[in-house]
Amino acid sequence: MMSITFHQAVFYFFSAIIVIFSILTVTSKRILRAATFLLFVLLGTAAFYFILNYAFMGALQITLYAGGIVVLIIFSILLTSHVGERFEPIGWGKMIASALVSLIGAGFTLYVLLNADFIPTQAPLPDASVKNIGTALLSYERNGFVLPFEVVSLLLLAAIVGAIVIARKEPHDTENPNNE
Amino acid sequence: MTYSIISIMRQELGLVVIALLVLFFDLVVNEKNKQKVFLIALALFGLHTLAGFFPFEGGNLFGGMYSTQPVHILMKNVLNIGVFLVLLMSASWLKTPQIANKSNEFLMILLTTLSGMYFMISAGDFLMFYIGLEIASIPMAILAAYEKFKSRSEEAGIKFLLNSALSTGFLLFGLSLFYAAAGSIYFDDLTRTLSQPSPLVALALTFLLSGLAFKLSLVPFHFWTADVYEGSPMVVTSYFSVISKGAVAFVLGILLFKVFPVFEGLWQNVIYTLAVATMFLGNLFAIRQKNIKRFLAFSSIAQAGFILLGLLHTDNLGIIVIIYFVLIYILSNLAAFGVAQAVYAASGKENIEDYNGFYKTNPRLALIMMLALFSLSGIPPVAGFFSKFFLFTAAAKAGYYWLVFIAVVNTTIALYYYLLVVKAMFINPNPEPLPTIRSDKYLRSALFITVIGIFLTGILSPVFEYIQAMVDKF
Repeated sequence: MMSITFHQAVFYFFSAIIVIFSILTVTSKRILRAATFLLFVLLGTAAFYFILNYAFMGALQITLYAGGIVVLIIFSILLTSHVGERFEPIGWGKMIASALVSLIGAGFTLYVLLNADFIPTQAPLPDASVKNIGTALLSYERNGFVLPFEVVSLLLLAAIVGAIVIARKEPHDTENPNNE
Repeated sequence: MTYSIISIMRQELGLVVIALLVLFFDLVVNEKNKQKVFLIALALFGLHTLAGFFPFEGGNLFGGMYSTQPVHILMKNVLNIGVFLVLLMSASWLKTPQIANKSNEFLMILLTTLSGMYFMISAGDFLMFYIGLEIASIPMAILAAYEKFKSRSEEAGIKFLLNSALSTGFLLFGLSLFYAAAGSIYFDDLTRTLSQPSPLVALALTFLLSGLAFKLSLVPFHFWTADVYEGSPMVVTSYFSVISKGAVAFVLGILLFKVFPVFEGLWQNVIYTLAVATMFLGNLFAIRQKNIKRFLAFSSIAQAGFILLGLLHTDNLGIIVIIYFVLIYILSNLAAFGVAQAVYAASGKENIEDYNGFYKTNPRLALIMMLALFSLSGIPPVAGFFSKFFLFTAAAKAGYYWLVFIAVVNTTIALYYYLLVVKAMFINPNPEPLPTIRSDKYLRSALFITVIGIFLTGILSPVFEYIQAMVDKF
């Protein structure tokens, strides 16, 4: 009964990687190291998709998150702060309090999740080929995603316009002594 | 799937078209005429607001992912009225030299966040709900940081962004648990499959409610509110405190009444506790505030606590009183913010002390402020009295007599600090009161509309009956 299959072993291995590197990400004193640790968390998540046979999502995860977003984060770190800069050390009181809160929260959530009786689905596994994903993305029937797909572009547009407004240099910026 | 999509989604489509037109005009007109885009946007949005009142039956689209009923259209109309007033009030601010060269982007982002609220209200599944929520919150951070030449505004933007990311994280985790429990994120599937309260569902609901409580700034999720409200430009603060808040209150009502009615026993106690904590803390902290924006921030926290009372009456009456309350809250709070905006635009002052002797020099603005504060605290004959009265009636009908008692106690506390401002304006002596303010015609017409609204929405029963008729079709 207790024998662990190969599948499970791989799952636990990647889970361990994710947990360890997540903790390192938030406790690291150097911001560039934190970003690098985050990269491993994202790669570990990609591994989960491959284990689930969802290769398309795994590839997306690697290209978008590990490839794109982490690079973006590192770029913005290099452009805005000194690489060698360290965070101020956090006081023990804060450290213990936040650790306690996280542990209690995680423990409670785990307790509920482990005791929940999930209903195993009877439906056959959907075919996650790129063709089907593409069809679902543009389908307006049930379980189609054309509406969210289109609406998200609104968010992107507003965010891009906003980012330009915020980042643009303006003559008034330098006049005000309040601005560093 | 035919052309019916255009007629069913007409409010969303109309709004998105207006937002894109603003962006387009900003690109094509020459520098001289950039300011005129505001007029076009105002006119188009006014038409859009009026068009929303044409009777319409609504319908479902995209396999239930989007649904709109008369009640949803009514909610969007209420928000439209508020946004129209905010636009009117923003006219003078958009002309200030630091803002003028990015005023049209401001309009475009503001209208986009409103479209996010529309999608959130009309969502038929958690994916659309989530995307709507994000459209309504990420660009808000940009609006909060719009006066980026002030470090306080930058701080407000980053504080809002981080807090909203945290709350979204909570919310998403809750949604993933719902998916784990039900195997679907469509609202109709959830109501069908989740018939029994289980620990898993309770946990999911807790995360979902915490996420929404952040957005509604309920105690104990309110810590970001005062700083963000204080740092943001006055127009954005008023938008935050009435439109964002109203939209989330509506969505909370829709979710709790239509998606999770079977778990009434689970969430009613949570709402009860949140309501009591929010009313008390919001009111007690409001007493201590010296800055008018912080003061209105805490007062709006307390008002959110009152809105929760309506959620405890779980049939149509609950929805009716929430819409009615939010409508009157929008009018009264915008009147107060409008006066504060006029004072700030003319003198740059935003402390309550500065309002000493305000009545001597600006009798009309002082009277409007007094009316607004009376309406917020619920003194008859202004509309705020009726909205609070109906809210308390709904809670009492559901059997929550103690809660109504606590709410009445809180109304009294609120009355005390609202009257402090009134006292400052009318009684406190001031050798150097603020000069007489002459604000532009947009702000004056906005204040005029709010004052009319504060009187009429309370006295005219057709308003309440109209809301009732729309909700009954739900």
